[in-house]
Amino acid sequence: MRRASPRVALRRGLWVFIALVVLAVVEYLLTLVMKSGNLPWMVIMNIIDAGLIAYFFMHIAQLWRREE
Amino acid sequence: MAVHAPAEARRHVSRLAINRLGLWLFLLSEGFLFAAIISSRYYLQGLNRPETLNQVLGLGITIVLIASSLSAYRAETSAAHGDQKGFSRNTLATIIFGALFLVGVSIEWREAFHQFPPYTGFGTIFFTMTGIHAFHVLTGLLALGVVFFLGRDGRFTKGASWGVEGTVKYWHFVDVAWVFIYPTLYLVN
Repeated sequence: MRRASPRVALRRGLWVFIALVVLAVVEYLLTLVMKSGNLPWMVIMNIIDAGLIAYFFMHIAQLWRREE
Repeated sequence: MAVHAPAEARRHVSRLAINRLGLWLFLLSEGFLFAAIISSRYYLQGLNRPETLNQVLGLGITIVLIASSLSAYRAETSAAHGDQKGFSRNTLATIIFGALFLVGVSIEWREAFHQFPPYTGFGTIFFTMTGIHAFHVLTGLLALGVVFFLGRDGRFTKGASWGVEGTVKYWHFVDVAWVFIYPTLYLVN
């Protein structure tokens, strides 16, 4: 797997960071709005969070892609 | 010598692949630990939580930990491209964010001792979950500290930065664990 150039990688990291912060704030606001029954929404957003971190920050795809 | 170069490169790649697989298996086993303590929260307390939880502090330390993941990612990228300065700067930022997170947790603990002490149902879960996670943050900080000083000595070069990569992956895992712990303790109702 070829690494992205530093500039591209850093910009990508910033976008992922913004997405994660937005999700965290949405989770918080959802709790204020929904007084009960927010568990399914939390699970969905947590899975998206974990997926973003695992794919972009932890490079999980390295496990099945060939190095060049 | 030149004839052996491709074989040497192949060995390096396969060693790296094995290192990565080993680390992912370790992280998977850690994932089971966190899954067990998260499930214990629902088993023991259902969806109940005290209204006195400091929600703003919870959100604040979550954002701090996410910010630490960004700086850790930048440190890894810098190390992989041989950018010594960027590596040092971002690793240091990650350590500072991680320490800030621990300060936030300690403030939350001080409040929690009064509102739901460890002998109460929710207190048991709260202190166990945040305690185990904070211990992981602490070990991550120690590992980042070691990597920071090794990196300053020039131990990591372009294409040979597994130490940084492994430490940063562990740090991201700690972030992933918190992403599940935060709503489990603070938000679910």
